[in-house]
Amino acid sequence: MIKISNLTFRYKDGRKNALDNINLSINKGDFLGITGTSGAGKTSLTYAINGVIPHHYNGDYYGSVRIEGEDTFDTSPSALSLKIGSVFQDIDTQLVSSVVEDEILYGLENFSVPAVEIEQRISSALEAVGISSLRYRSIESLSGGQKQKVALAAILALRPKILLLDEPTSELDPESSVQFYRILRELNENHGITIIVVEQKIMLLSEFAKNILVMDTGKIVINGSVREVIDRSSLLEEIGINCPRVTSLSNRLKEEGVYTGSVCINVEEAEKMVRSIIDD
Amino acid sequence: MRSFFDYIPGNSFLHRLNPLSRIFLSFMISIACFSSKSHLFLLLMILLNLVLAALAGILNRGMELLKNLSKFSVFIFVLQVLFVRRGEVLLEMPFNIIITEDGISTAIIIVLRLIGATMPLALMLSITQMNDLSNILVVKLKIPYKYAFAFTTALRFIPIFASEMSAIIEAQVSRGVQLDTKNIFKKTRLILPLCLPLLITSMKKIEGSAISAEIRGFYLRTGESCYRKYFINWNDVGVLLFAVILFISAVFSNNIKL
Ligand SMILES: Nc1ncnc2c1ncn2[C@@H]1O[C@H](COP(=O)(O)OP(=O)(O)O)[C@@H](O)[C@H]1O
Ligand SMILES: [Mg+2]
Repeated sequence: MIKISNLTFRYKDGRKNALDNINLSINKGDFLGITGTSGAGKTSLTYAINGVIPHHYNGDYYGSVRIEGEDTFDTSPSALSLKIGSVFQDIDTQLVSSVVEDEILYGLENFSVPAVEIEQRISSALEAVGISSLRYRSIESLSGGQKQKVALAAILALRPKILLLDEPTSELDPESSVQFYRILRELNENHGITIIVVEQKIMLLSEFAKNILVMDTGKIVINGSVREVIDRSSLLEEIGINCPRVTSLSNRLKEEGVYTGSVCINVEEAEKMVRSIIDD
Repeated sequence: MRSFFDYIPGNSFLHRLNPLSRIFLSFMISIACFSSKSHLFLLLMILLNLVLAALAGILNRGMELLKNLSKFSVFIFVLQVLFVRRGEVLLEMPFNIIITEDGISTAIIIVLRLIGATMPLALMLSITQMNDLSNILVVKLKIPYKYAFAFTTALRFIPIFASEMSAIIEAQVSRGVQLDTKNIFKKTRLILPLCLPLLITSMKKIEGSAISAEIRGFYLRTGESCYRKYFINWNDVGVLLFAVILFISAVFSNNIKL
């Protein structure tokens, strides 16, 4: 569905490559989490997928990104938006209206969705994200987290095949972050939407994503299933990515030969690990 | 931080008007203020602004606006009084500074005009959604969507800039920079360098907004994309007539000597 080949990009006034020889395939139905320290190139990778790079940022661009066979180099971001819905990192620049309802309407108008369909699209998008009660509120009066949900609803109303989100829970509390990811999982499992999400909190990815991609200095360091990535917590810590404590603990115990089972992601698994060690 | 024209939702008579009638009415009040030299008429216009604010359920915003404009006006008033040297001298001061009757009279007019003409625009924006505004600009006034969007985006960013500016000033003050000096030149010299980073972040934000619009199909939009229909009904006709009458009375107010 998405195929990135030998992609290298350096911003016009950048000192090093923001993206460095990226090769990546994303298939229909994937739920891919992208993580890495700040400056690793995560945002740049999302820009390369939705066409913002190279259409809005000048620089040296090598390689290719294809969305269902179409090269993003030859397709405008507006045309790509019919397939890919993007939610940006900076939420204040993302929103273009003064009222929630209008924000949802904005993209629908651009896409010339027939008038008879619009009401249903607006209400179901708001419902999917659980913010029907905010419909007539002014955007200025919302919290950062509520704005992030509005941004998601506005994109969902457009019914994209691929959902691309850049740190969508940065302004949400832990509880709401989990809720937000439950929504993403529901969209992925029940509606077949391919999800690509940049997320610093690896805990959330280990719980919800199917695959995790770790970036550092513009390169892909690891790309694999959640297990495969979590298994290498020492490498992640070297890069500067914080793993859940129980994960690091189980990895260390494995290195010391005390424990031989699989790496723990959460407290329940850690409990099992401790019991198995005690029983031995 | 909320600015003086973030949208305040509501369902008043004024909220329900066609946005075009609202824009027309507010511009006509502004123009009327600029056309009149009558103190009484200008005072009435300010009062009218407050009445309209009350009708829209945003009297608080109206009063706040009036308060802030008045503060600003003191500065203008003093400048104006010192500038005008025509007319009967009321007071002579050292350094060849004189205060004349004409000076005071024109200063009052200018200040009243400033307040009366600024208020309706801010109040209109307070009860008009940005999308309605850009739709009206495109559908009724035939302005290309690109420019209409740029215009409303600029309006939308003013409160964000304002809050960033005050954040920068707070940060400087907390670092011990004395920005609360009364000397206006010194203040400008201190604040100006702080504006540069703000300008850069502002440019980034506007660029970001353009990108955000584009990845939601900005360039796919056609003239027929607009979903909302804006009807003209009798209320609108009434308001339009009222606005025209205001303008005419502004012109006549100059002939009446009080
Ligand atoms: N507009 C830009 N101009 C120049 N360099 C940039 C620009 N945006 C990002 N960079 C650089 O590209 C690299 C990757 O940035 P980014 O993709 O934003 O990383 P992340 O999202 O992982 O924090 C960083 O070194 C950053 O400084
Ligand atoms: Mg980023």
